Amino acid sequence: MRSVVRFICMLGATATGLVGVRSASAQSTPARSTQVVECTKCHADRDLLSANASGARQDSALFVTGAVLDSSVHHSLQCTDCHRGFGAGFPHQASQVVVPCSTCHEKEGRDWAASIHARNAETVGDAPTCVGCHGSHGVRAATDPRSPIYPLNVAGLCSRCHGDPRIIGRYFTGPAYQEARVAATAFPKSVHGIALTRDGLVVSATCSDCHRAHLILPPDSARSSVNRANIPQTCGKCHAGVVKVFEGSAHGPGYPKQPGIAEGHPKPVCIDCHSAHEIVRADRPAWQRSTVQKCGSCHEHLYETYFETYHGQVTQLGSNLAAKCSDCHTAHDMRSPTDPKSTVFAGNLVHTCSQCHEGANANFVKYYAHGDPRQRTKYPRLYWPWLLMTGLLVSVMAFFVLHSVLWLIRNGIEHRRGGHGPRGPGGGGPIDDGPGVGPAGGSPTSGGSES
Amino acid sequence: MTRRAMDAAGRGEGPYMRRFTGFQRALHIMVIVSFLGLVATGLPLRFAAAPWARGVMDLFGGPVVAGFVHRVCAIITFGYFFAHVIQITYRLLRVEGPKKLLWGPDSMVPQPRDLRDLIQMFRWFFGKGPHPEFERFSYMEKFDYWAVFWGVAIIGTSGLFLWFPTFFARFMPGWVFNIATIVHGDEALLATSFIFTIHFFNVHLRPEKFPIDTVIFTGRATAAYMKEEHGLEYERLQRDGRVQERVVQPASRAAYLWSVTVGFIAVGIGTVLIVLVLWALLA
Repeated sequence: MRSVVRFICMLGATATGLVGVRSASAQSTPARSTQVVECTKCHADRDLLSANASGARQDSALFVTGAVLDSSVHHSLQCTDCHRGFGAGFPHQASQVVVPCSTCHEKEGRDWAASIHARNAETVGDAPTCVGCHGSHGVRAATDPRSPIYPLNVAGLCSRCHGDPRIIGRYFTGPAYQEARVAATAFPKSVHGIALTRDGLVVSATCSDCHRAHLILPPDSARSSVNRANIPQTCGKCHAGVVKVFEGSAHGPGYPKQPGIAEGHPKPVCIDCHSAHEIVRADRPAWQRSTVQKCGSCHEHLYETYFETYHGQVTQLGSNLAAKCSDCHTAHDMRSPTDPKSTVFAGNLVHTCSQCHEGANANFVKYYAHGDPRQRTKYPRLYWPWLLMTGLLVSVMAFFVLHSVLWLIRNGIEHRRGGHGPRGPGGGGPIDDGPGVGPAGGSPTSGGSES
Repeated sequence: MTRRAMDAAGRGEGPYMRRFTGFQRALHIMVIVSFLGLVATGLPLRFAAAPWARGVMDLFGGPVVAGFVHRVCAIITFGYFFAHVIQITYRLLRVEGPKKLLWGPDSMVPQPRDLRDLIQMFRWFFGKGPHPEFERFSYMEKFDYWAVFWGVAIIGTSGLFLWFPTFFARFMPGWVFNIATIVHGDEALLATSFIFTIHFFNVHLRPEKFPIDTVIFTGRATAAYMKEEHGLEYERLQRDGRVQERVVQPASRAAYLWSVTVGFIAVGIGTVLIVLVLWALLA
């Protein structure tokens, strides 16, 4: 009997989004109110339910055991607190099955009502409502490890819908669909996901920490926590120190626009460099190298010239030996070279370069970390040597390639004409007129042996 | 005695004659080994964006190991450079005196005859005259020699700047390292391009020499070779009755096989490297 109850409870849990009901039977039973005792006389009796509630589903909706209620955070409530008007007596007369949760959970209800889930619930009808995530009779506190909204369980909860390509295909299109797919597949491998799944770090960010629990809105909504403008604030809930530094940097919203920055690039926010769902540890070497590309997607010229230096070349070869953007410009406190607080401000360069180049002095830092020899007016010191060397390279090679090609052609002509070696015989005699006119010995043999 | 058909230095009739001293041959082996090492470890950096760069670098074990190999090869380069300079100085002061070394048929110094030979060569290319006859060193060999001399000085100096930047920054501004990077890379690219195409063609790959000329390894070549490649020198030796002084035994079979093997490996590696350069330039 007990195992049957347990099985049915499990069914109920599956349908209502409840986990961990199993332990209900193991828990010591607190004193139940008389009303609960009364209601469960019928609602915990499966046979009675199916016999009387004709047409009613024979599933969990009406089947509620005292044990499930005991395990709930609502265990002190009366049945009629939610099922108002369902007094004693059968058949029940109430028309409203359940009062809105927002009757008590006012703010959560209001937030949900404004969310994309609520909008979809109205239009399509299959978006999650309160019980979809929290469960119904067995609702547990968020701090309860058995709750579906316990931090370590949230990602699994959300992925019940968001992990299904067919479901998200109904609500997301284009790049948003791609990102939604990435969210489901890549998040568990991200630094946040690993912290949750591998280390059980409950303070690590999970879906609801960034997207909110109730007021979930798409990124294009200005009120969304994942709207670009709100990203630093969202990440800053945990990464408060980083965001404080970032806000003061050239990428921060208040920093004056710098000359030479390409138009059409919005200032980056956290996710532009770190991504939203594929965030990896910032000390991972491969990721550090990959950030160079991210910087370069806006700072195009600095990106190109970087790769003409030893720094860039070594980085491109997959080594972290040499400086990358953030090694000189910092990861979050990047500022204009004219800003005295900048690590690349003239007065701070000795310190910055000394991080790697021990003993760097004021002379040393006159190196052009982004010098471009093709810019004659800006880098005349580089332009002329570059022009000279390129000219030397091209002219020497052009001359000698011509020399070799002509030589080869003449060899061919002589060979066809003379029938032996491409060289005329030694001794300086004229060789145009035919073979074998030279006085010196050995040539015919040598020529013959060559061909 | 069978002539070695594969070896251009063994062509034709006549006894073998001494062309290079043991010291010169040893220096050239050092040049080959160090130059191949320098190019193989330097090219991936110069063409870091090339599709093969990462693979070649990983073959060496990454930029740290490659950088170490590059510096070891640089030390070998400085070694042969100074060994040569010291020997030349010694010969200048003690043995031959400046007259024979700095001018005349045995000298490496470019002379009016070299310009005439070059013009004559171009006349021959266009069928307007005979092939010029060369003295001990043709104008091409002189160019090779001075290109290495200049190249080692330029690449070596700029390389030292880049090797010890904080030291050199005591005496010069940092943008010198930008120039050093340009000069080092472009001069090295010129050396690479020249050696692995023009030098290879001149000494190994043109029809008279194909596929290999071991004279730099064994130091000796046949009289027929000498008559064809350095006819004026041979005539001069005949006139002075000094041909016999230069006659030597043929290289041993082991020395011959070693020479051919080293030659093919070096030419092979060089060819692979120049293909990589062309790939990077055309990509």
